[in-house]
Amino acid sequence: MTRLVHSELLKLRTTRTARVLLTLAAAGTAALVAIVLLLAGRPGQPALGPDALRLLVLVPAQPLTLAALVLGVLGMAGELRHGTATSTFLVTPKRGRVVAAKLAAAAVTGLAMAAASSAAVLAVGLPWLRAKGIEVAIADAGVAARVAGLAVAVALYAVLGTGLGALLRNQVAAVVVGLLWWTQGVERVLTGILHQPGLERWLPKGAAAALTAPGDGTLPMWAGALVFAAYGLGLALLGGRLVARRDLT
Amino acid sequence: MAAISVQGLTKRFGDVLAVDQLNFEIDQGTVAGFLGPNGAGKTTTLRMLLGLVAPTSGTATVAGRPYRELPDPARRVGAVLEASGFHPGRSARDHLRVLAVAAGIDPGRADQALELTGLAAAGRRRVGGFSLGMRQRLGLAGALLGDPEVLILDEPANGLDPEGVHWLRGLVRGLADEGRTVLVSSHVLAEVAQTVDQVVIIDRGRLVAQSTLADLTAGADRAVRVRTPQPEALRDLLVASGARVALDGPGQLTVTGATTEQVGQAAAAGGVVLHEMRFERSNLEDVFLELTGGKGERP
Repeated sequence: MTRLVHSELLKLRTTRTARVLLTLAAAGTAALVAIVLLLAGRPGQPALGPDALRLLVLVPAQPLTLAALVLGVLGMAGELRHGTATSTFLVTPKRGRVVAAKLAAAAVTGLAMAAASSAAVLAVGLPWLRAKGIEVAIADAGVAARVAGLAVAVALYAVLGTGLGALLRNQVAAVVVGLLWWTQGVERVLTGILHQPGLERWLPKGAAAALTAPGDGTLPMWAGALVFAAYGLGLALLGGRLVARRDLT
Repeated sequence: MAAISVQGLTKRFGDVLAVDQLNFEIDQGTVAGFLGPNGAGKTTTLRMLLGLVAPTSGTATVAGRPYRELPDPARRVGAVLEASGFHPGRSARDHLRVLAVAAGIDPGRADQALELTGLAAAGRRRVGGFSLGMRQRLGLAGALLGDPEVLILDEPANGLDPEGVHWLRGLVRGLADEGRTVLVSSHVLAEVAQTVDQVVIIDRGRLVAQSTLADLTAGADRAVRVRTPQPEALRDLLVASGARVALDGPGQLTVTGATTEQVGQAAAAGGVVLHEMRFERSNLEDVFLELTGGKGERP
């Protein structure tokens, strides 16, 4: 199993996709944090205080989770698109193990993206805040919890994307479905139709919000992580079973 | 022991019966050609043999077991399949290293496999820029990675230039001389005739023939070609004696089911003038076309 995960990570390292996403995670975060800092204190924008870092670490959460979702989809559905699935499954005919290795590799890459992003937050945010004379504690438990929560969320989005890619064999379809669900507020609409306002936090994106945008309406961080993980792994299990059974013609 | 064994293998895709009750065995150390027109079910059979497509019924084993149950498949069986692809952004060497790592093979083997397939100079280039012939070579490199005892090659000559085809023949012959079993598919018999010991011919999903090359030609009809100013008269004489006769053109006959002696005798008896008579051994391609209903493509 270890060698399969290594092989999957090598796959990610030997094409541009993962490299580009990691670079974007760092550079994009730096840019976003700079914008938030520039606008801080203006009308309608949050003012900077001692807990500014708590705010800043979650600034890149939206684009970061979306990128992780796409990464997961591409890693799985891309094998069918490019026809590499044939050689992959010739080497490892037990296809469930390939899907499991892909989930692990996607999660690891998600963690790396989150780490790159959080490092960028600190690299831009700390000197800026210090220059403005705002004292922030780095060893703040709230910051640490948010950094960890974001990392878990990004990793799980990559897992969910992998499951989605396994379920819908077509790469384009999987990306489109993922994007629509992610951007179009499907879950909010659904809760509206059902008149169940409390439902949204139990749906995948709503549960993940406990980690990416914790607030009054969201589940506790640990519960959100568990619910979101269950969605991701459930989808991966379903997709994995399909991948194992489908004919590769 | 049979290195490859197919028993009652059947695959149905919806309404289409792609492979129908197929049986054949390939002994260890044999180079076998797997032949049939396009659409005969060759690729589906090979994919079932390799665990990529699940049979509707029947069994297929390689190296003694169903492929999916082989403990270390990449070291036992190497395969090149038509639709197998490469990520266009990954280099040839990295493609092989990815496979090697997954198979638990020393990644250094990637360079050896590139060397073996004449791709050493292109190893660090992205596959996206590769020609069809180079992709075939890279597919072969992947198959050879684990130094397997059985090789299954689906139309490996596709996309190769004449030089490449010549090189491929040498490679397959070399692999066979090392005692490996090779099953190589083609829709053109001539392509493999110089390389294989044995042929398995299928058509519309069914086995048409399994034999050695020598037996295949021996069993075929031989023809006598005759040029005469009285074709109709000679035809009637020969048909009366039980031979089959076709009028090919003005004054041209092709006779099957009779020897040159019998044709000469019939002509003399009927007072028919002969201008030319020659014995023709039907060539392999004709045999192949006859067996497969003439639907195959000529090279």
